[in-house]
Amino acid sequence: MIRFPSVSRRFSRQWVARGLANVAGNLPNSRLPVTSNLKFFNSVQGDGLIPAFRVLDGSGTLIDGAELPEIDEKLAHRMYENMQLLPTLDSILYNVQRQGKISFYMTSYGEEATVIGSAAALESDDEVLGQYREMGVLLWRGFGVDNVMAQCFGNEEDTSTKGRQMPVHFGSPELHFHTISSPLATQIPQAAGVGYALRRDPYRRGRSIAACYFGEGAASEGDFHAGFMLASTIPSPTLYITRNNGFAISTPSTEQYYGDGIASRGPGYGIDTIRVDGNDVLAVLKAVREGRRRCLEQGRAVLIEAMSYRVGHHSTSDDSFAYRPRAEVEDRKHIDNPIVRFRLFMESQGWWDAAAEEELKIRLKAGVMKAFKRAESIKRNELGQLFTDVYGGEEPWNLREQREELTGLLKKYGEVWEPWRTELAKFKNNGQDLLNLRP
Amino acid sequence: MNTYQAVRDAMSLAMSKDDTAVVFGEDVAFGGVFRCTMGLAEEFGKERVFNTPLTEQGIAGFGIGLALMGHTAIAEIQFADYIYPAFDQLVNEAAKIRYRSGGQYNVGGLTIRTPTMSVGHGGLYHSQSPEGFFMAASGLKIVIPRSPIQAKGLLLSSIRDPNPVIFMEPKILYRSAVEQVPIDDFELPLGEAEVLTTGSDLTLLTWGTPVYHCEAALHMLASPPSSLESLIPPSLRSAKIELIDLRSVLPWDVETVTQSVKRTGRLVIVHEAGLTAGVGAEISAEVQKRCFLKLNAPVRRVTGWDIPVALQYEKFHIPDSIRVLDAVMETLTY
Repeated sequence: MIRFPSVSRRFSRQWVARGLANVAGNLPNSRLPVTSNLKFFNSVQGDGLIPAFRVLDGSGTLIDGAELPEIDEKLAHRMYENMQLLPTLDSILYNVQRQGKISFYMTSYGEEATVIGSAAALESDDEVLGQYREMGVLLWRGFGVDNVMAQCFGNEEDTSTKGRQMPVHFGSPELHFHTISSPLATQIPQAAGVGYALRRDPYRRGRSIAACYFGEGAASEGDFHAGFMLASTIPSPTLYITRNNGFAISTPSTEQYYGDGIASRGPGYGIDTIRVDGNDVLAVLKAVREGRRRCLEQGRAVLIEAMSYRVGHHSTSDDSFAYRPRAEVEDRKHIDNPIVRFRLFMESQGWWDAAAEEELKIRLKAGVMKAFKRAESIKRNELGQLFTDVYGGEEPWNLREQREELTGLLKKYGEVWEPWRTELAKFKNNGQDLLNLRP
Repeated sequence: MNTYQAVRDAMSLAMSKDDTAVVFGEDVAFGGVFRCTMGLAEEFGKERVFNTPLTEQGIAGFGIGLALMGHTAIAEIQFADYIYPAFDQLVNEAAKIRYRSGGQYNVGGLTIRTPTMSVGHGGLYHSQSPEGFFMAASGLKIVIPRSPIQAKGLLLSSIRDPNPVIFMEPKILYRSAVEQVPIDDFELPLGEAEVLTTGSDLTLLTWGTPVYHCEAALHMLASPPSSLESLIPPSLRSAKIELIDLRSVLPWDVETVTQSVKRTGRLVIVHEAGLTAGVGAEISAEVQKRCFLKLNAPVRRVTGWDIPVALQYEKFHIPDSIRVLDAVMETLTY
C-alpha cells in the first residue's frame, strides 16, 4: 500500500498562532496561510522555554499572582500524610532489600508532590495506568501498607500479581489502578484505549478519565508517540502526566531529548499542555484538576509535565553516584524538598506544627514496621499458581502436561535436591498442591 | 460468500450482539483495503468503526486498553508483515496481562485480524506468514482459517474467546474462495484441527492457503496429468492420504495430529513461512516424541525457503502443489 499524507485542518490554526502572518493568501483547498518569509521555528513558546506553573515558593509562601487551589485542612492533612508515608515506606523497604529480604525496590524520593498532588486531583474511580514510581496513587486510594508489603514480598496475600511480578509492580481493579508492567511506555497507547472505553460507557462517559503516568525517559519510546496521537485523534479522555525527574537510570534528560522537554511535544499532537513545578504539591493539584476538567470537556488527551528531581537511586540495582555527584543530590534534597515546602505552607495556615510532625512520623514508621514484620512471616502462594492464569477458559494441553511433568520431578527430587527443598518450604503447603496431583 | 464477505459478516454479527464491540485499524472506515469492513461504519456508526492513525504498536496498545475495560476490541493490522511494530504490545503485554495481574485483569476481548501469506506478487512485505513468531507467546491464541465458512465461524469464536487472539486471514483467499456460508450466528472451536480427508498411509498437515496446494497435490497423485504421469509411480496413486487443516496454531491440536500419525506412520507438514524454527519444527519435534515407534519415515517439512519472499521468484519460493506432491511421494517410498 502506498499512502499519501493529507493536509490537516489543524495546521492553519497553529501557524496563525505562531505569528507566521498570512501575506499571500492560502494554499489551495486549505486554510494554510502562505508566506514569503523563509522562517524556521524551533519553539512552541515564541523564542522562550515553556514556564513551569507554580503556586508556592520554596518556603511554602504563595508566589505573586498565584491563587491557591481549593483545599481545606482535612485535605491538606491527608495529602501531607500520604506524602510522608512514601519516604517512610521507601526507607524501610529500601533497607529490607539491602538485607536481601526482598529482591528489588524503587523509591519515590523527590517525587512525593507530583504523585500525591496528582492522585488527590483525580477522582477515586479514574482509571490509572502507571509506570512504576506511582505507588503514592495507590496509597492515596487506600491500598494500605499491608498490600504494599504483600506485593513486594510476593507472599500469599499478594493480590496484585500472586507473587509473579517483581516488587513495586502493583495493581488493583477495585482501586482502578491497572497492574504495572516493566516494559516502558506500553501503558501510554493502552491508556488511550481505556479512555475510549470510558467515553463509550454510558455510566462513565463525561465522568471518568484515564490517567497515565510515565517518566521523561519512557517518553522517548515509540509507544509515547502512538499513544498521544491516538488519544488526541480518535479522541479519548486521557490525562497524560509526565514525571520529568531529570534522569532515566543514568541518562540525564539532556541526552534524552534536545527540545523543550516533553511539554513542547503536546501542541504538536494538538493537545492542551502545561508544565508544572512537580515539587509544588498545590501547583500539581491545581494543574491536574484543570487538566482533568479539560480532558472531560474535550473528550481528548491533555498533557501535564511535572518537573522534579529523582533524589533516590533509580532502583536498588543502581548506584546513582556513579553518574552524578552526591553533593548535587544532597543540595536538591535540602534546597527544594517537596515535603518541606508543603509543611511550611501548612504551618503558615496553622494546620500543622512540630508536635503533629513528631506524632505522624512515629505513627507511620510503627505502622510500616508492623506491616513489614507481618509480611515477612507469610508464606508464598501455592506452587501450583505457577501454571494458572496463563489462559482464560480451558487450560491448553501443553500447560497441563508441563505442570504434570513438574509434579513428577518434584516427587522424584523434591526431598533430595537441596535448591528445591529449601524453596518448597517457602510455599503454602510446601508444594503439596502440586505433589498431590495425579500425573 | 467469499472470504472477505464472511469476515465482514462475522464482525457485523459480533457487533450487533455486543454493544461494546468496536472495529478499528488503518483505513477500515471506508471498508478496508481488502473490503472486509465494507459498510460497517454506515451500519454501526463512526464511534464503533473508525480509522486509527498509522501506528501498529498504537493499534495493538489501544485495543489492549479497550479490552482491559471489558470491551470487545476487533483491531486490524493491514498486513501481517506490519505486525512486528506491535510485537511488544502483543507478546509482552496482551499475552501476559492475565498472568502478571494474578488473574485480576485480562484482555480476552481483544482480537487482532490481519491478512497473511503470499498473494502472487506481494514481495517481501505483503506475503509473510509470521505465525511462528507468535507461537511461543503463551497467553495468545493464533487462528488461521482456510475458507469463508471457516473464516466466519473461527472469527466469531476468536472475538468471543476469553483470550487475546491473532486471527490471520490468508489474503489470496479473500476473493478466490467462495462457498455457501450460513447467514446465522455460528462458531467453530479454537484449538481443534479438522480432518478434511481421511487416510491410512500418510498424514498431510497444513493451514491457510497451502490447504489448496495440498488438495491439488493429492489430486495429482491420484490421477496425474499426462505431463507428470511418468514421474508418479502407479503404486503410489492409490495411497490413502489424510489431509488435516490445523486451523489453530496456538494452542495446536496435538491430539488429532498424533492420533492420525499413529495410524499412518508418516507425516508431511506444509507451511508458507520459512523452515528454520517455523511452526513445523515445533510440531515435528512433538510428533517424534509421541509417535516415535509408529513412524515409518522421517517427518518431512515443505515450507518457504529460509529467505525473504522475493517478488519475481515467488513461484519457486512457496510450497506449491508440486513440492507437496514430491515430498508426499518421497515420504511414502522412504
